[in-house]
Amino acid sequence: MVEFDRSAFIAKFQEEATDLLQRLNEGIINLEADPANRPLIDQWLRDAHTLKGSSRMVGLIEISDIAHRMEDVMVKVRDGGMAYTGDMTDTFFEALDVVVYLAEHAGKDSASDIDLVGVTGRLTTLAGSAADAVESASVAVAVQEPSASATEKTPAREAVSVSAPAITDATPEGAESGTDHEHEAHAPQAAQRDDKLQSKEQTTVRIRTSQVDRLLNLVSEVVIGQIKAQQRVRDLRVVSAQSIDALQSWGRIKGMLSVLSPEEQSALDIDLRALDDLLLTQRRELVALAKDYADDTSRTAAVVGDLQERAMELRMLPVSTVFNTFPRAMRDLARTFKKDVDLFIEGGDTELDKKVLEEINDPLVHIMRNAVDHGVEPAAERLALGKPAKGTITLSARQEGDHIIIEVADDGAGIDPVKVKAAAVRKGYITESEAKSMSDREARYLIFEKGFSTAAIITEISGRGVGMDVVREFVVERLKGALDVESELGKGSTFRLTIPLTLAIIRALLLRVGGQTFALPTSSIEETSRIERSSIIKVEGHEVIRRQRRTVPLVHLRDILGIDFGADEIGQKIPVATLGFSGHRLGLIVDEFVGEQQIVIKTLGTHLKRVDNVAGVTILGAGEVVPILNVPDLMTNGRQLTGVRARRAGGAAEQQEDKGPSRVLICEDSFTTRELERSIFEAAGFEVETATDGAMGLARLREGLNPDAVVTDVQMPNMTGFELTRAIKSDDLLKSIPVIIVTSLERDEEKAEGIDAGADAYITKSVFNQDTLLDTVERLIR
Amino acid sequence: MGADSRLLNDIHVLKMDEVLRKRAQSLAQAQEEEATDDARSLLLFRLGEEWYAFPVEGVREIYNDCSITRIPRVPEYILGVVNVRGEIMSVTDLGAMIRVPSRTQHTDVEELPSAIIIANEHCVTAVVVDEIGDIAEIPGGDVEPALSTLDKMQAEFVAGSVYIGGRLIGVVNLEKVLEPIGEDV
Repeated sequence: MVEFDRSAFIAKFQEEATDLLQRLNEGIINLEADPANRPLIDQWLRDAHTLKGSSRMVGLIEISDIAHRMEDVMVKVRDGGMAYTGDMTDTFFEALDVVVYLAEHAGKDSASDIDLVGVTGRLTTLAGSAADAVESASVAVAVQEPSASATEKTPAREAVSVSAPAITDATPEGAESGTDHEHEAHAPQAAQRDDKLQSKEQTTVRIRTSQVDRLLNLVSEVVIGQIKAQQRVRDLRVVSAQSIDALQSWGRIKGMLSVLSPEEQSALDIDLRALDDLLLTQRRELVALAKDYADDTSRTAAVVGDLQERAMELRMLPVSTVFNTFPRAMRDLARTFKKDVDLFIEGGDTELDKKVLEEINDPLVHIMRNAVDHGVEPAAERLALGKPAKGTITLSARQEGDHIIIEVADDGAGIDPVKVKAAAVRKGYITESEAKSMSDREARYLIFEKGFSTAAIITEISGRGVGMDVVREFVVERLKGALDVESELGKGSTFRLTIPLTLAIIRALLLRVGGQTFALPTSSIEETSRIERSSIIKVEGHEVIRRQRRTVPLVHLRDILGIDFGADEIGQKIPVATLGFSGHRLGLIVDEFVGEQQIVIKTLGTHLKRVDNVAGVTILGAGEVVPILNVPDLMTNGRQLTGVRARRAGGAAEQQEDKGPSRVLICEDSFTTRELERSIFEAAGFEVETATDGAMGLARLREGLNPDAVVTDVQMPNMTGFELTRAIKSDDLLKSIPVIIVTSLERDEEKAEGIDAGADAYITKSVFNQDTLLDTVERLIR
Repeated sequence: MGADSRLLNDIHVLKMDEVLRKRAQSLAQAQEEEATDDARSLLLFRLGEEWYAFPVEGVREIYNDCSITRIPRVPEYILGVVNVRGEIMSVTDLGAMIRVPSRTQHTDVEELPSAIIIANEHCVTAVVVDEIGDIAEIPGGDVEPALSTLDKMQAEFVAGSVYIGGRLIGVVNLEKVLEPIGEDV
């Protein structure tokens, strides 16, 4: 499937946002003059809502967040919860200015130039000042030790919920007060954070990350030089050993010179002595040189090691910079899924490479969403099982050697391997017989398969189960880490992310294929072996081997890489590297193993953005540039070659053979969202028709457009998505067409209304991604 | 490539401003009187039998004897990557890219002609050509639209054409050559 780039839509979003912001600003001015003008408020809310939705679609979460908070305030004004006052104007203007700035700097790291925290804080205060009783979220701010849970090992068990990174040592004020007070706690906290930041700036120097990266680039060159020096030490030792051999040979030859006549001996005497001296001196000096050089090198090695470590530290930030946003996210999640959950955070001071940190947020959110949705049971069910009514999710980080372990543990229902297998068979991921031979552990890994979900998405509220494949992709492909899940039925599940401290250096196995050297990250290699040709078994035309009572499919790395030349294995022993990845194994036949070593990862440069099977390159000590293989790609492509799994080829593609491409009608008033959805569907082989509101959509349907599915937004001029859905579902000619609602409306009543209207699926923009959308539509069409 | 040959490489690296200036001198002298404000500098190079040019603004340096590492499953016009003093960059076979028969397609990857490193603010690549020529200073007005006789494939990559010394020279569209590969695939 074509991977989809949101950044391409940022320009479109910016166009749209300019208009929206203009109207929002004007709206505020008009409102100030006429604060009770209901149509004005309604228009303003629609615009703010569109801004929220569109910004979220292009991944500009901050804008979406501000728009959301502005909406909160204005909804209260509309519903009479508070009156519009002049001082609100200032806050709104400030907020809109921040949005303008964010929209202009879309996608760039600009947070430091604006007071985002202050603005959101003030908006929240505004919304909260109307004695908000509805805000009884289910996530408590837990400062007291959880009475039930038993994780004592970690010393720094902070129950962070409101504590900002700057105020960790003090017990966060207002923390014990629980949720009801969170809004009050918000504003002073924001102020406090500002103070702390200001005093911090005096003792620190701000450096652009690009400068640090350039420095690191040079440091890695030094490291490479160091590796070379160590190879020279070994070479030198070999040479000095050779000089000893030479000396011994010379000794033997000298002994045999006695056969010469005395005249001959005396004639050679000077030369013989000279040679004796020379060889002895040379040997002594070579040995000394080798020793000195070895000593120097090992001293330098220590310094270079230090230098590297210190340089890496420049990029290190505590994980709390990411973790601290989670209490709020968890609260929203808990409310969305109507669950009662406490979030505990441990080890927030563990440090990680900034680059890793940037990548880690999304996978963690997906895992927590999964934990709240599928893990933690509803309160009544929990009580019946003898568990505390409130679920507990623990997010912890710790360092182990050169890895960081991050765990998300819940005390929920656990993952039932039987259910997972059943679902996998139903969806064609595995066959009945494969399911039988699959261990529970392997079965649990199935949840990381692309598009896999144990819950039936359709007609369910929001895209459930979505995202675990994204998690795998992030952790393994981008962070070069490992993802593991442990689960006990009825007790809970633990997702464990093992991530290298830095993305720059990994251990790799060097191997040769088709005359070229490649590096394979050792983290995904289960074993390397030389197998007997006779131990290869043919199963349905494909080669497999048996390892530890498991069948491992074999594939030539050469075939995956499309290298059509190279040595045919002549020897009886064939080198095989067995990859283990997300519960699957694959044996890679290579020409030769070279050895294992630490390598410095470099990208393929700015021109080659992404190459199948290749994650980057490294420069070996000898200056040789070697491609680093990408394990997830190898697994996917390798498994396709072995035909282990009849990969779902995508519903749309299958359909094309029967009755031409599937057609989908998109009803959406936002230009950005419409174009984004269009490109997703077109990339997947759909024919796309669009309408800018419900009325136009309905008109096109009644003209006989006859699409295979309708994808609609909710809030649109003239006719809303709900009205459109009702109209379709009450029309005998149209009612068989599946309707998928895609919206940023996340309140339960709104979802209920969508389902009541007869929608076949409801996808919220917060969980929106191309896979959710395509999977849902493809399933409904089928 | 050992340390020695890398050193050698560094010597071989001919900085634009040093060498190209020299190469340009003869031409510049001849055309001094013609030089106007909108004069353009073009670095000429040969692909097979034909001559092309890059606008000098897009040329970073000329790099000789680069040892190329093949990368599997890339477009045929990407020969691989090369390490230029710690910076990894792609090697583009321009002849293959714009479908002009050139020597590079028939020679072993190991013994390379020189490469012209071109860059814009987003991308950099080393472009392999058959022969690197002089820098020509020409009045901007001399560049004409590309010949309509070019086939579609070539027309995309050739931004214009200009006669220099009686030879028709295609001015290559740098942005097109520097389009990132595999970005959304």
